[in-house]
Amino acid sequence: MSAGGADKAGRVAQRIADVAADCGISLVASLPDGWITDVIAQFAADGRFRHVAVNREESAIGLCSGAFFSGIGAFALMGASGFLTCIYAITKINYTYQIPLLIGITLRGRPGDRAKFHQSNGLYLEPVIQAIDLPFVPIERADDIARIATAYRHSRVMSRPVLVGFTREVLRGEA
Amino acid sequence: MNFEACFRLLAERLRNEVIVTSAGNCSELWWEITGETERVFYLEASMSLASLLAAGIALGAPARTVVAFSGDGAFCMNPGMLLVERQLALPNLKHFMVSNRVYGSTNDLPHPFGELVDYAAIAQASGIERVYRFATLEGLSQGLDDMIAVPGHAFAVLEVEPLGRHLPSPPLDGPEVKFRFGRYLERTGGRPVFDAPVPR
Repeated sequence: MSAGGADKAGRVAQRIADVAADCGISLVASLPDGWITDVIAQFAADGRFRHVAVNREESAIGLCSGAFFSGIGAFALMGASGFLTCIYAITKINYTYQIPLLIGITLRGRPGDRAKFHQSNGLYLEPVIQAIDLPFVPIERADDIARIATAYRHSRVMSRPVLVGFTREVLRGEA
Repeated sequence: MNFEACFRLLAERLRNEVIVTSAGNCSELWWEITGETERVFYLEASMSLASLLAAGIALGAPARTVVAFSGDGAFCMNPGMLLVERQLALPNLKHFMVSNRVYGSTNDLPHPFGELVDYAAIAQASGIERVYRFATLEGLSQGLDDMIAVPGHAFAVLEVEPLGRHLPSPPLDGPEVKFRFGRYLERTGGRPVFDAPVPR
């Protein structure tokens, strides 16, 4: 990525962190995807958040779900593939006990993603999201970043997890 | 050590802590012994996330001691839980791993890994400083206060015999567990959980 591109991605990461902080999130648990490294670095360096790098994505679900009970606003951030490993945890913990949680993922596998090993996400990610009736808020343009707060509030109101999905273009500051 | 006697001792001594129990025997036995419905979160069938859910509670409630129970089946699914616990190093998180060497929630089907590995050594190699191994009631009784009362993240292996009988699950639906537990935390000095204003 060029220096200009890095600047744009950094500004997007800053904007995401600002929206998250403003809506009351103070814990971020993450596992990287190549598209969200700037966002994770922003959360890790930002004093408004406690950032926890977890060993696997399901651990983020467990940690953030527990944080709900201590009154902490939490955000589980991960790649699409990692999210797909969390279906059991989400349905068994958050659905069974009705625990709200904001989850952020990358929308890997959409047209434009040149990684062959992510094409399965293009085929199955959104159908899986729909299959478990998980409310999904796509973040496809810069103006959509504010919808992270809407998604967080919606999660609290309905006592279930809500998913936000970032496109590559948004994360690179190109949309 | 006899599993039931071990849990009876723990239930008798852990009077003020917040408890998170994992699926199967841990939840079933704690429920049978105590019948508690307030300070206990019966996390049934999370497949290894009990200690991390407990860590999330402990993270935001530093004045509370939070005790998590995992089974050895869950532990072997996700031993990396210890790495996250080590990173967090929460002084108020105490994690008991029950090693009964069977899958207690599925008719005591043998669990082969306990004979092959040293769970306490795994915890030590993960960087956890305070690791305990209790194989007798006497040892547990003597070491429990040190583990619980002294601040610092601690992990203990409870070497127990299989329970050898089937117990019913706590007769509580998920939302009931959530509300009883959350209201208990709110009522006893925690931050608002359900009554927290939804941000505008």
